[in-house]
Amino acid sequence: MEKIFLKKDLGKSLEEYDFPGLKNALNMEPQQVINKIKESGLRGRGGAGFPTGIKWETVLSIEDDTKFIICNADEGEPGTFKDRFLLENLPFKVLEGIIISGYATGSKYGYIYIRGEYVEAIKIVKKAIEKLYEKNILGENILNSDFSFDLKLVRGAGAYVCGDETSLINSIEGDRGKSRIKPPLPVFEGLYGKPTVVNNVETLAAAAEIMNYDNNPYSEMGTEKSRGTKLVSISGDVNKPGVYEVEFGKLTVRDIVQELAGGVKGEKIGFVIPGGISTEALTEEELDVPYTYENLQKMGSNIGSGGMIVVSSQRNYLEIVKNVSDFFRDETCGTCFPCREGNKNISKIVSDIYKRGYPTSKEIEIISDIQYAVSSAARCGFGESSLNLILSLFEKFYTKKVEV
Amino acid sequence: MKVKINNREYEFDHEISILDATKNAHIKIPTLCYSEKLEPFGSCRLCSVEIKGERTLKPACVTKITDGMEIFTHSQRVRKTRKTIMELIIASHGISCNLNCLTCSKSGSCEIKEIAEEIGVTEIRVPPIYNGLPEDRSSYSIVREPQKCIVCNRCVRKCSEVQSVNILTIANRGPDTYVTTFMDKGMGNVDCTNCGQCILECPTGALHEVYQMDQVWNALSDESKFVIVQTAPAVRVAIAEEFEAEPGKIATGQMVAGLRLLGFDKVFDTNFSADLTIMEEANEFLERFKNNGKLPLFTSCSPGWVKFLEHNYPDFIDNLSSCKSPQQMFGAIAKTYYANKLGISKEDMVVVSIMPCTAKKFERVRPEMKGDVDYVLTTRELAKMFKLAGIDLLNVPTEDYDEPLGISSGAGAIFGATGGVMEAALRTAYEVITGEELEKLDFEAVRGIEGIKEATVEINGINLKVAVVNGLGNARKVLEMIKNGEKEYHFVEFMACPGGCIGGGGQPIPTNNEIILKRMQAIYEIDRSLPIRKSHENPAIKTLYEEFLEEPLSEKSHELLHTTYLARS
Repeated sequence: MEKIFLKKDLGKSLEEYDFPGLKNALNMEPQQVINKIKESGLRGRGGAGFPTGIKWETVLSIEDDTKFIICNADEGEPGTFKDRFLLENLPFKVLEGIIISGYATGSKYGYIYIRGEYVEAIKIVKKAIEKLYEKNILGENILNSDFSFDLKLVRGAGAYVCGDETSLINSIEGDRGKSRIKPPLPVFEGLYGKPTVVNNVETLAAAAEIMNYDNNPYSEMGTEKSRGTKLVSISGDVNKPGVYEVEFGKLTVRDIVQELAGGVKGEKIGFVIPGGISTEALTEEELDVPYTYENLQKMGSNIGSGGMIVVSSQRNYLEIVKNVSDFFRDETCGTCFPCREGNKNISKIVSDIYKRGYPTSKEIEIISDIQYAVSSAARCGFGESSLNLILSLFEKFYTKKVEV
Repeated sequence: MKVKINNREYEFDHEISILDATKNAHIKIPTLCYSEKLEPFGSCRLCSVEIKGERTLKPACVTKITDGMEIFTHSQRVRKTRKTIMELIIASHGISCNLNCLTCSKSGSCEIKEIAEEIGVTEIRVPPIYNGLPEDRSSYSIVREPQKCIVCNRCVRKCSEVQSVNILTIANRGPDTYVTTFMDKGMGNVDCTNCGQCILECPTGALHEVYQMDQVWNALSDESKFVIVQTAPAVRVAIAEEFEAEPGKIATGQMVAGLRLLGFDKVFDTNFSADLTIMEEANEFLERFKNNGKLPLFTSCSPGWVKFLEHNYPDFIDNLSSCKSPQQMFGAIAKTYYANKLGISKEDMVVVSIMPCTAKKFERVRPEMKGDVDYVLTTRELAKMFKLAGIDLLNVPTEDYDEPLGISSGAGAIFGATGGVMEAALRTAYEVITGEELEKLDFEAVRGIEGIKEATVEINGINLKVAVVNGLGNARKVLEMIKNGEKEYHFVEFMACPGGCIGGGGQPIPTNNEIILKRMQAIYEIDRSLPIRKSHENPAIKTLYEEFLEEPLSEKSHELLHTTYLARS
C-alpha cells in the first residue's frame, strides 16, 4: 500500500525539506492549483468531509483585499490525535499546505489555531514558523515570487466546541467560543467578516502533498467518493494503538483493528467507534465494512475525524456512555437550547441508568427523542452529532434487554 | 420571489426571513429568543421549520427565504422536535414546590406557558434540573431569580442593543451557562440604570421589580397614617391592559375610584407635579438662556436616564436640569405644603407613587431627596393590588382626583409619552417669553416613537433648537454627537425607555411597539380633551405659588423642588 505521509519526510529538518509542493504551486496560476486539488478529490479531513477544492474556489472567486486562511488545529475529538501527530512530526508540511491554500485563494494572512493542551505541538510549530520567516518561506515575496503571506499561531483556551469553524473564528476574534449562525458561511463572511477558508490540519498537509506531484496519485487511490488516504488514530483496547495511514477502500474496519492495530486487547471486540465520539458505534458483527465515507455512512456511521476507538467486550458499556455524555454536557457552548438542555438532560438520565445498571424502555424513548430534536435543530455540528454515539449504543445493545 | 409554505404558494418582492414570511401568511411560529426589537439570535430553535432538500431543520428567525423554497411549518419532524425542546426547557426552569407557577411574577404573562400550550406539551418526561443559583436582591429596583432563567439572552441583548447599558452578560459554558452581572456583583452594584427594560423582555419570571405591595398594604391598614397616592401620567393608559382591555384604553376615572376602594385617604395626580416641573424647568431654561448658563439643558424626569448620565457621561452633569422629577416634586410638596394645610405632621403622612417605571424605586431612595416619597409601585403591582382586593377595574364607576394636588393640565398628561416634557415646556416657555397666547398647542415634530427627534422652534425671532430622545442607546448616540460638536441644541428631552414612560419597565407585559403607539394615542387624547392644556394655567399651580412657593426658582422652590447629581464613573 502506498503511503503518502508516513513513508517519508518523518524527522526531516528544514534543511532537508525544500517545500516542493509550494514551489510547484507558485509556478502555477491560483486556479490551476485549485483545479489540481479538485482533481484529487480531497475532502475535508476534520469530520464534515466537504470538498476542499470547491471551498478554495469559492474564496478565490470573491473579490476582497483581505481574506484569511485558518488552519484548524483545535483537535479535541476524544480518541483523535492524528493532527497532533502531523503538527509534531511534519510541521513543515502542514505550514506548506497553509501557504499553498493562501496562494490559491488570494489570501495574504493565515492563522493556525492550536488547542492549548498541545503544548509540545505549539512549541514545534512556533519554532517552525520562525524558521520559515528566516528562510523567506513566510513574509514578503515568498521564495522571490510576487506572493506575500503572513502566518500567526493562536493558542486555543481548551474548548472542544472551538473545533467548530465559526466558534473557532469567534475565539480568534476574542469573543466567546460559541457557534455563529450560518449563513453567512465563513467562506463569504468569516474572520472579521472577511472571506475565510477554514481547513483541518490533515487536509492542508494532504494538499501540500498533492501539490508535490506532477501527476495526481491521490486521485488514483481510494474509491470514487473517498479518494486518497486517511490518517486513522487508533486507541482503546488494542495492542498497537497509534496513527496509521489507510488508503480508502483497501481495508475494512476490522482489518484496521486486526492488521494495523494488532487486534483487540481482551476477549473480543465489543464495539468500535470509527471516527471519534461524535460517530455511531459499530458492533463486532458490523466491522467488515470497507473504510470509506460512503460505506460507513451506509452503516449509519461516519469517518468523522478518523479517531477510531476499540472497546473490548469486557468493558462496562454504560460507563463509556456516561463518560461520553458527561463530556458533551460539559463541552456544549450553551448558546442554543436543544444542545445545552439536551446534553444536560441526557447526562442526567445516563447517570441514573449507570447507577441502576440498565435503562428502562421509557428512558430509551426519551433519549431517542432528545437525540432526534438535537440533531434536527442544533445550531452547529457539535449539537447535531453530540448524541449519535450514545443513542447508537443504546439502540444496539440495550433495546432488547431493557426491563419495562 | 415565490415560496411555498405548507404547499401554498406565496410571493414576496424582497428577501425576508422565513419568520416574517410566515407572519405574512398568517401562520404563527413559536419563538422564545426572538424579539421584534432585537437582532435575531437563533438560539431557542423553537422556530425551526423543515425546508425541502435540507438535511436539518432551519430556524425561521435567521433563515432568509429563497426563490422556490418549500417550507413546512408543522411537519411531523418539526412538531416532534419543538415538543422535545419545550420539554427540556420546562425541565430546566426551576420547577419545584418553592418555585411553581402560582407564585411567579409572570404568572399572568408567562411566555413559556403560552408557547408550551401552543406546541401541545402534555407531559414532561425528563427529570427537573435545579441550577441552584442564588437570587439577586442587591438592587432597589430589580430582582433576579436565576432559577427561572432559561438563558434566552433577551435581557442581555435588550440591555446592550437597545439601551447600550451592557450590565448583563453570559458567563460560563454548557450546563453552567448563566446570565449575570459584572463579576457577579449584582444589579445593585453595577452601572444598572434600573430602567427595567430587561423585565419587559424576559419571557419567564427570572426578572421582576422589587415589590412594595406588602408595605403599602401595611400602610393602608395603619390607622395612624394618612396615606396619599399619586399616579403617573402613563399608568392610566396602560392599567386596563392588566384587566384584558385593549391597549390604549383610558382608565383614569376607574383607577382613581379603585385607589379609593383600596383605602387611600387621598388620590392625587403626578400630572399636577408635572405641571409644577414645567414651571420650574421652563424658567430654569429661560434663566440659563438669558444668562449664558450651561446649555443644552437636559431634562431630569427620567431617573433611568439620570443614572445613565451619572455613570457614563459625568462631564455632562451640569447640563442636567436641577429640577427634581415630578414624582419627587409631588412628595416634597405633599409633605410640606399639603401636610401643613391639613395640619398633620410629615411623619404621619405616607406618600405612595404609582409609576410605569422601575427606576423610580431607586430614585425614591437617592440620598439627595430621601423622604419625599415612601413607596413606589409599578403599574403591574397596582393591578395585582386591585385584583387582590377584588376590584373589577373596568366596571368601577369613574371618580375624579382629589384637590388640589389632583388638578392638572394636558401638558402634565403628555409627560407620559416621549416628547411630552418638551412639548409641555415649549407651551409654557413660548407664552412666558412672548407674553402672547400660543395658537397651535401641538408640536407634532416632537411626537411619535422615533428614537431621536429634532425640531427648531421660533420664539420671538430666536430659533430654539430642541431634540427629543428616547431609549438609552439613542441617548448615547446623541451625547456622543453633542460631545463631538456634530450637534448643537438648546434643550434636549431624554427618556430612558423606548417610547418614554408609556414604554416604561414597570408597565404591563407585553409592551411592544404596537402597544406603545396605542398608549401614546390615548395620552394625546387625554390632552385634547382637557379644558386646560398649559402648565402655567393650572389654577392649583397658580395657588401653590401664591400661597407657598412665591415664584418659580424662588428660595423655597430651590429648597424643595431642586436637587443635585453625582458622578458615578
